[in-house]
Amino acid sequence: MIELVAITDGTLAPEAPVRAVPFDGLAVLCAPAAEGEADAETLWRREALLEALMEQGALLPVRYGTVVADEAAAVEAVSEHRDAFARALARVRGAVELSVRAVGPADAAPAAARVHATLAVLARDAVRLGGDEQLNGAYLVERGAVDDFVAAVGRLQREHRGLSILCTGPWPPYSFTEAG
Amino acid sequence: MSEGAVAQREVALVDLVDRLLGGGVVIAGEITLAVADVDLVHVSLRALVSSVDTAQRQGALPRMGEAL
Amino acid sequence: MSREKVLAAPLDGDLGPFERPGRRLPGALGGRIDADPESVERGLAQLVLTIVELLRQLMERQALRRIDGGGLTEEQIERLGTTFMELDRRMEELRDQFGLEAEDLNLDLGPLGRLL
Repeated sequence: MIELVAITDGTLAPEAPVRAVPFDGLAVLCAPAAEGEADAETLWRREALLEALMEQGALLPVRYGTVVADEAAAVEAVSEHRDAFARALARVRGAVELSVRAVGPADAAPAAARVHATLAVLARDAVRLGGDEQLNGAYLVERGAVDDFVAAVGRLQREHRGLSILCTGPWPPYSFTEAG
Repeated sequence: MSEGAVAQREVALVDLVDRLLGGGVVIAGEITLAVADVDLVHVSLRALVSSVDTAQRQGALPRMGEAL
Repeated sequence: MSREKVLAAPLDGDLGPFERPGRRLPGALGGRIDADPESVERGLAQLVLTIVELLRQLMERQALRRIDGGGLTEEQIERLGTTFMELDRRMEELRDQFGLEAEDLNLDLGPLGRLL
């Protein structure tokens, strides 16, 4: 069994044991399926792997734990989405994902919406993920614009004292793998 | 790690888990189970392995105590 | 990209509101399922092995159908037989590893009867 790690444009050269399996001008990066449960360290190692690969080029991370029988099965599984992957890769190229969460009382919801709207303008794309927080946002930000984005988060925090805001990243584009 | 660094790692882990287990490309797992080079069973599964929590929320896995 | 992931923190520096009680990872972090790590692992193994056993039985049945239906060479039939013996043995090993009996994989689905 092998695990699917990421979809790439075929130019990335991963280190063993990760293999790039080509399909129609793109590639699916595969690794031997991991044994045992996913604990924090395992997930951080996957994250480090994806970050190192991202230095080489655009990729779409595959959900953790996606296991198929073999490389032929991997190609079969990804081939039908080939064009959508190509569009998504073009969309994320040169950008990273930043997370912004904001917690606060119920009446802070409008403020959270304003925070999201303000940050969305600074990003190539933005989406609100679900969760208990007033805001759990994911933002696709040009690499060169990350510092400005973080500075904007700082300004928004000072402006909206009723919210407690946390920004983390950069992350691979987990939330932007669907072609728009 | 200092206490501050531990706390930072903890909250970053929340964002990581949200993404790695709840985000990313979702592949419909297509498996053909072959034994001794003879194709026997074709199984089509959505997100063959996903976090238990995600699978339960999607209704793909029963909650403990419920019938399938 | 570095291992330090927090780019901007709240003014009071309190990260507590951003932690998530009842996290989804079993094992090392303690889990949403509030039990000792060993029984969490065993429960998970039980689930996984049940699925594997289900698939193994499906495949065995399919193999028998193919053998009965003709169309397989002697060599293929022999290989099927050997492989299923091996699968059976391997399943037993895996069950032993987690302290599970064959009965443990036969989940009781209440009104729907037993799984296997």
